[in-house]
Amino acid sequence: MSLWLDKYRPTSLGKLDYHKEQAAQLKNLVQCGDFPHLLVYGPSGAGKKTRIMCLLRELYGAGVEKLRIEHQSIVAPSKKKIEINTIASNYHLEVNPSDAGNQDRVVIQELIKTVAQSQQIQSSTQREFKVVLLTEVDRLTKDAQHALRRTMEKYMSTCRLILCSTSTSKVIGPIRSRCLAVRVPLPSTEEVCNVLTSVCKKEGLLLPPELAKQIAEKSGRNLRKALLMCEACRVQQYPFSVDQDVPATDWEVYLRETANAIVSQQSPQRLLEVRARLYELLTHCIPPDIIMKGLVKELLSNCDGQLKTEVAHMAAFYEHRLQLGNKSIYHLEAFTAKFMAIYKKFMEDGLDGMMF
Amino acid sequence: MDEYDEMFGIEDDFDDQFADELDAMAQMEKEDTSEPGKRPKQGPGDNISDIEHLLDDQPLTPKAKRQRQDAGVAKRLFNTQQTRESKAPTPSDNITPPSSPEQYEPSHTVRSTSEALDISGFGAIPETPRRPPTAAPASLHVLRRPPLDGEYISVTDSSGSRVYLRQKEDTGTKVVESRFVPNSHGGLGLLALPIGVLREHEAEKRHLQVVEESQRLSELLASNVNDVFLESESTEDKENNDPEDKEGLTSRLWVDRFSPRHYTELLSDDFTNRCLLKWLKLWDTVVFGRERKSRPVRSDRQPPNQNSFKPNQANQNPNRFKTKIEMTEELLEAELDQYKRPKFKVALLSGPPGLGKTTLAHIIAKHAGYNVVEINASDDRSAEVFQKRIDTATQMKSVLGSNEKPNCLIIDEIDGAPSAAINILLATLNKKDGPGGEAETAKKKKKKESILLRPIICICNDLYVPALRPLRQQAFLLTFPQTQPSRLAQRLAEISVKQGMKTDTGTLISLCEKTDNDIRSCINTLQFLHGRGLKQVNTKTIQCVSVGQKDQNKGLFHLWQEIFQLPRTKRKRIGEGFDEAPGSGGGAQRFQNILHLASSSGEYEKVSQGLYDNYLSMRVRDPNLQCVCDALDWLSFSDRLNQVILHGQNFTLMRYLPFLSVTFHFLFAHTHVPRISYPHSQHEALTKLLSSRNALSTMLADIPACIRTRISQLCLTLDMLTLLLDIICPKLRPVNPQLFSTREKEQMRELIDTMLAYNLSYRQDRTPEGQYAYMLEPRVEEVVRYPGLPPRRQLTYQAKQTISREMEQEKMRRAEQLMLQRNPAAKAEEKKSAGPKAARNHQQRLENIVKQTTVETKPEVDFFGRAVAPKIQKPQSSSDKGERSAVDSMGTAVGNSDVWFRFNEGMSNAVRRNVYIRELL
Repeated sequence: MSLWLDKYRPTSLGKLDYHKEQAAQLKNLVQCGDFPHLLVYGPSGAGKKTRIMCLLRELYGAGVEKLRIEHQSIVAPSKKKIEINTIASNYHLEVNPSDAGNQDRVVIQELIKTVAQSQQIQSSTQREFKVVLLTEVDRLTKDAQHALRRTMEKYMSTCRLILCSTSTSKVIGPIRSRCLAVRVPLPSTEEVCNVLTSVCKKEGLLLPPELAKQIAEKSGRNLRKALLMCEACRVQQYPFSVDQDVPATDWEVYLRETANAIVSQQSPQRLLEVRARLYELLTHCIPPDIIMKGLVKELLSNCDGQLKTEVAHMAAFYEHRLQLGNKSIYHLEAFTAKFMAIYKKFMEDGLDGMMF
Repeated sequence: MDEYDEMFGIEDDFDDQFADELDAMAQMEKEDTSEPGKRPKQGPGDNISDIEHLLDDQPLTPKAKRQRQDAGVAKRLFNTQQTRESKAPTPSDNITPPSSPEQYEPSHTVRSTSEALDISGFGAIPETPRRPPTAAPASLHVLRRPPLDGEYISVTDSSGSRVYLRQKEDTGTKVVESRFVPNSHGGLGLLALPIGVLREHEAEKRHLQVVEESQRLSELLASNVNDVFLESESTEDKENNDPEDKEGLTSRLWVDRFSPRHYTELLSDDFTNRCLLKWLKLWDTVVFGRERKSRPVRSDRQPPNQNSFKPNQANQNPNRFKTKIEMTEELLEAELDQYKRPKFKVALLSGPPGLGKTTLAHIIAKHAGYNVVEINASDDRSAEVFQKRIDTATQMKSVLGSNEKPNCLIIDEIDGAPSAAINILLATLNKKDGPGGEAETAKKKKKKESILLRPIICICNDLYVPALRPLRQQAFLLTFPQTQPSRLAQRLAEISVKQGMKTDTGTLISLCEKTDNDIRSCINTLQFLHGRGLKQVNTKTIQCVSVGQKDQNKGLFHLWQEIFQLPRTKRKRIGEGFDEAPGSGGGAQRFQNILHLASSSGEYEKVSQGLYDNYLSMRVRDPNLQCVCDALDWLSFSDRLNQVILHGQNFTLMRYLPFLSVTFHFLFAHTHVPRISYPHSQHEALTKLLSSRNALSTMLADIPACIRTRISQLCLTLDMLTLLLDIICPKLRPVNPQLFSTREKEQMRELIDTMLAYNLSYRQDRTPEGQYAYMLEPRVEEVVRYPGLPPRRQLTYQAKQTISREMEQEKMRRAEQLMLQRNPAAKAEEKKSAGPKAARNHQQRLENIVKQTTVETKPEVDFFGRAVAPKIQKPQSSSDKGERSAVDSMGTAVGNSDVWFRFNEGMSNAVRRNVYIRELL
């Protein structure tokens, strides 16, 4: 518990630093007793999980913070054993079904059903329902999501589901309609700055507001990242200086260099080099859609205004294919090649225009 | 390659080298001149004897000779036995006796055989089987005992009496008559042809006509008689104007009809043929010649074709072959182990189908005078049966039957045999391992022992089948090169001329190309076309017809090469590709070709990977990257196809996968020879990805739950890990941690807290250079570090060491705390029991041991995992009690007994006892 990130994490809805009205609404929701299924979504680092844990504490009290890790093994109908880790307190169960890969449907069907079916014993003192927290719902397969539908309805009396995902686009409609959707947006730059300053104050450090702003911007308002960056800055150099360079994550730097390589030269050889770099990113567990996103962002900042729409269009096209397909490297490379072709043509046309 | 070069190097002694062929040719010519229209079906085996007889007028060493002679006669006997059932041959054949023994070739008799079979359905035809057709000259040649000089043939009739026939070149018929000798004893007269025989011929002539008439009728009626033809004609000489042959045309495969009958007709590579022949000839010593001495004698008496061959083997073979298979051949000759066998007992022919491997083996075995015994994949090849068959073939010899030649075992399609069978074969090969003395006696016993004394020829398509691995080392390996298209085309031309088809060389060459010089496939295709009524074949027909293409696996590299290389003959410009109208020659043909190749390879996944890995290094001018974009679009299309196929089991879509290869061909094919590397990238990426995932999941596995719930693998890689690794590298003063200031100590404590919380630790590792380094464990550094980026700050070795040590201490402290928290009783007890007591050494130890065990077991028994303070009292008292009772029991046990036990790790004298001398006495 020594990272600032963990040390200063708010534990109750009242202590949350931003989106306070939302916190108040959640508090109301708990107090009015009729607690629906929740679908909490929002970008990474916005504080979804923190909010959910606060909500659970509001529901069950401090006992919900006594967590334990359980190793569950489920036997699929095909006799295949699935090992999955769950984090549980006496009142809730947290599962990441996508850990089971393609077998996540079985996890949903077996694990969650058994939890949902069991009744709470001391219903007089406690809530009459348990909470099952499913994380990374957007990575669930369609089968698993469909398996979830009926469970959600059938065991409403004993179980509430809180689904946590970064986007709702991959959550099927029937599930969305069964849940109360709670969007947790990223904090604004000021909010991030405030959080950073307050954390530093608690640590007994003095954070210059310029540096706070720089960190907030560089982290892309991802609070988790911002806090880590801040701490890394602290480790790097204490008394903070205003123009301190903020450490960034390696993969972003690497991706930026890749984008620069694409822009600087367009040839099959360069494409081959880019392929090696893309492979490198993929093997470092960076999801292909995030690579695509980062690439497009960098490329767009590098290319002319006329090209931007075309590039964005292409990116959408190839990302769609990427989602449909299996071998992400093909699609990433296809996008790169297409960009190269367009960019090259544009540059040559521009050059011709200059000549005349 | 090597071998061929060496081959060329020694071409100057052409005569020596091609002696076999020359001999064979000479023999052929001889036969051809003596009997132009007919090709001898029976190979050298028969001819040898005949020719030998011609040359030879000195007395024979009976043994070696007799074998052959017997064999030859037996063969004839066999043939004529069938002849006698119906005196089928055309009158001219029978009435005018052939002028030389060669002329009395089975070619006639066998044809009659077929007739015999034909009319076997008409059983009512009267026969006079026992009557001697000719008898007169027999008296001169039929002897009761072997003649002292000259050739002779022994004949045994069904009643067991044996006579010896003197053999002469100019009396052809006597051989035929030999079997009738016992019957015709009384009839031996002065006439060359007894009147009875003449009469019989007349009768037969008429009979024959009747038979032929009826036969035609019956064939009109029952077409299934053709099947009989098929069987019978397979041994028959081919002659187009023969009526039966005409009828057989429809039903008989040309491959069989036109298969080579003789060594010189072989289409396969000369060099290979010669090697095999030579190898087989090495067996002559052990198979034919009984003693070493007899060899030169025998070789003197070889027929001309072998005359020059034999000395070669004795003298020049080593020199000649030194260059080729170098030492092996030399060793073959030099060693000829104690049984006079060649060093390699097995020849292993390998090569793609349709090159004539089986034919070669058969021809050569016959040529060298063996009786061929074949085992192929259609036989049961289970271990027992295989063993039996090998034994039968190699150790026994037919006594009564048709062939008394030694056997040569041909194991065809051995690559499909189970490895058990191959092991049996190997065991058979290695049977020589018996002691030398035994071998000596064995040899004296005229090879009745079980060692392998017969050549074995194995044939396979794939030399590198795992089951063949042990055999490969012991076998004389011969790989078949491709048949030369020119020779094949020439043969095809001969065939088509014979069959009345009009072709030209170009057509036939293209046919050869299409079938990859597969002889069988070529001939079959020709026959197919012929059977469809095509009398004229041109290149276009060949290209349009969809037969003749083999569905063979070419190997991935070949496929990639084909895709990335333009066919050499037609130098097309790139980019024309799709613009060409379909069907206008080049483009369409290439399209079809690549499509066929790709779809027959079947490994689409691997193929597309290879294409993906290699297409960017192709030398194609593509200034606008348009080709690359197209190619990648196709790749992503095929990826989607694959996804759909695998996800929905929709395998009908698989038919679209090979088009990827076609596209790549048209986009990237170039005249240069492409340099293709095997696609490793995707597999490498996958392994790396897995290892990073593993590192992350090991890291996640032991993170405490309160932190675990906040982080996922994804946010670990994307947001946290890089920064976390920075955070755990603070600046530390390189001093003893005791000298740290309070602030530094605090910093250190936080650092260790963080590392413990995130399950990170330093582990000392020995680098390959022999230095020690502290590595972060689990190895998540590799997950977030990228090559080519500026390196992150690293802690010094000392700092890491300090941190590591502090961490260990912290861990121990925590563990202790945790233990204390769980059961504070244990610690107290331990302290208590430390008090010293006066006792004998072993007693003291035992006490402690007993105490500890009782004390330690107590809390576990008493509590259910909950350490509650008030309960401590009771167990303490109970443990006291236990202690006391333990001491009591120990007092009696340890103090009073002579025997005690002390466990001493690593010692064997754990039990001690006082033993007095008086007890021993």
